[in-house]
Amino acid sequence: MIPRFSLVRPHTLDEALAAFEATGGDAAYLAGGTELLQVMKLGFAQIGTLIDVKRVPDLKGIERRPDGWLRLGAAVTHREIERSELVRHELPALAGLELHLANARVRNAGTIGGNLAFAEPHSDPATFLLACGATVLLASPSGRRELPIDEFVVGPLFTAREADEVMISVQVPPAAAGEGRSYDKLAFFERPAASVAVRLTVRDGAITAATVAVGSVGPVPALVAGAAEALLGADAGGDGLEAAVTAASGALADIEAEADLNGSADYKRHLAAVLLRRAVAAAIREAQADA
Amino acid sequence: MHELVTIELSVNGVARSLLIEPRETLAEVLRDRLGLTGTKVSCDAQVCGACTVLVDGLAMSACTYLAVDADGRAVRTVEGLATDGVLAPVQQAFVDKAAFQCGFCTSGMLMAATALLEDNPTPTREEVVRGLEGNICRCTGYVPIVEAVLAASRAGDAAGAARIEQGSENSGGAR
Repeated sequence: MIPRFSLVRPHTLDEALAAFEATGGDAAYLAGGTELLQVMKLGFAQIGTLIDVKRVPDLKGIERRPDGWLRLGAAVTHREIERSELVRHELPALAGLELHLANARVRNAGTIGGNLAFAEPHSDPATFLLACGATVLLASPSGRRELPIDEFVVGPLFTAREADEVMISVQVPPAAAGEGRSYDKLAFFERPAASVAVRLTVRDGAITAATVAVGSVGPVPALVAGAAEALLGADAGGDGLEAAVTAASGALADIEAEADLNGSADYKRHLAAVLLRRAVAAAIREAQADA
Repeated sequence: MHELVTIELSVNGVARSLLIEPRETLAEVLRDRLGLTGTKVSCDAQVCGACTVLVDGLAMSACTYLAVDADGRAVRTVEGLATDGVLAPVQQAFVDKAAFQCGFCTSGMLMAATALLEDNPTPTREEVVRGLEGNICRCTGYVPIVEAVLAASRAGDAAGAARIEQGSENSGGAR
């Protein structure tokens, strides 16, 4: 059984933050519960009070802000993202990622905010959102702050979020002209063995900007600057691309990698190189379809 | 005295009012308070799917879903599939295709299949396979399960009807 806890179900953000303060710190914010309840059931966490934030309007909704950024409420479920017409149009790779995340039951209950806050090293969204240059917005009684994903996820199962901070939303920048964003993974179990996200810009047939993120391979999703640099200047449609992708794959050879149930460190690096090739092709397709 | 919460929910169409602890999972409430033991708990970690139930039509892992979250919602379990002793089409298809052996995953498979077919009445084979990802069966090798879900789908109905029309389908009585 899950160890006993008190439950608070606030209807506003202020109520949620006040509820946390009232406990003196022996509390945690609860959304889908797919990770937190599991951790409690296994005895890894004893928490006096759970503050259920699913009714807090600030954490709901998916919208495009006036500045073009996509805003996802932290308590939005994976299913809601997958089925959002706005996400399918603005950020199809995220909708596709959500469609293949874990299983249907986890997608129905689990939230984007909970996924990022748990910081499982095999998180699909964290890797993709890292490449996208997304941010998370946190709120506590002392104010709000917005952090990019790479400053938010600081280690396996460890984020920069303070205990009294609740995640409000995730923000994703709009695609630049000629920009494509893609994500690919190989998964034997619920979570990926390796995953790669690519964000690149194609102008006049050449790759003029690139970001590469690798997930599930090391302890945290990581940007691989060497792989991104190798893609710069490559002819997006011609023979030069093959050499650039091979060089980019080579840059993955010495990334931090940890053996796990999916295989050895070397095997996971190999998977990442294969996935990089596919993700680059997909990102170029999107970039050119956009042009 | 520990904290108790009243929840009002519908279980297989019957209104229920229950006084429970916040920590109780939906699986515990269904099995231990309501005696609905058709919902099985196996991995208790939402990876096997044995405890799959529908909450407002969505498949959920009852083992890791707080019963308080079902407050005000409609829960459906395997006990609610048959009507007046007549199996639901998806149940009948599991029987016809021999889509179970030990049967422990069957309740969850049926509920996952029910959610899948209500959302998408004409799934492709790939959509069935993907929809049942995360429902684990150690006996059948999955092929008869996928066949059963396809047979229970509207497309399966249509194909079956077409075969009957062509006289190539054995009648049920011949089995």
